[in-house]
Amino acid sequence: MAHREKLAWVMIPVLILTGLWYIDRTQAVLDFGAEASAPVPPILIGYVILIVLASIAGSVLVAASAPSEAEAPADEREARILDRAGHWSGYVLGAAAIAAMIRFTVDGDGNRLFHLVFAGLILSQIAEYALQILFYRRGV
Amino acid sequence: MAKRPPITNRVRELREAHGQISQAALAKAIGVTRQTVIAIEQGRYSPSLESAFRIARRFGVGVEDVFGWEGD
Repeated sequence: MAHREKLAWVMIPVLILTGLWYIDRTQAVLDFGAEASAPVPPILIGYVILIVLASIAGSVLVAASAPSEAEAPADEREARILDRAGHWSGYVLGAAAIAAMIRFTVDGDGNRLFHLVFAGLILSQIAEYALQILFYRRGV
Repeated sequence: MAKRPPITNRVRELREAHGQISQAALAKAIGVTRQTVIAIEQGRYSPSLESAFRIARRFGVGVEDVFGWEGD
């Protein structure tokens, strides 16, 4: 298995688990009513720190299994896989952002706009890694 | 499954004919990963023209001796 595919397999659960942690913490603090509550900076910062630490730990573990592969730049096939996965995950983020903006035009709730775009960002990252795995497996 | 490219190749056959060159050695010689050589051999990836030439030159044959169009 290619180094970057292993990394994608690690990053998907990292993103899902940290995303669930963020949702759990946010719901514990915020009272979601008819109007979305403002984002809580300590939780946001905690999420960023958590995801950075988990990403570093995951990367180190994957790199330790094959250090020479970890240092190698992406070859032509991998570059195409990364480009294509990034291209399609961009649509996920775009769709989420457009949906959030449409919603914003309806209710004018800026906090909800933030939450929806943030969720779209997380989803697009998960989609990017999932697509990388798909393209590694079935070809590009 | 993605549609396979209509390009055939004799990379595995040539590797074996040239003293069992390993996939890793061939990958190193042409500047790609071993997984990419595997993908080429399995027909899941069509290499760039540059890599196709590098592979052919590694075996001392022409590109058309390594790669072909399906059905030809």
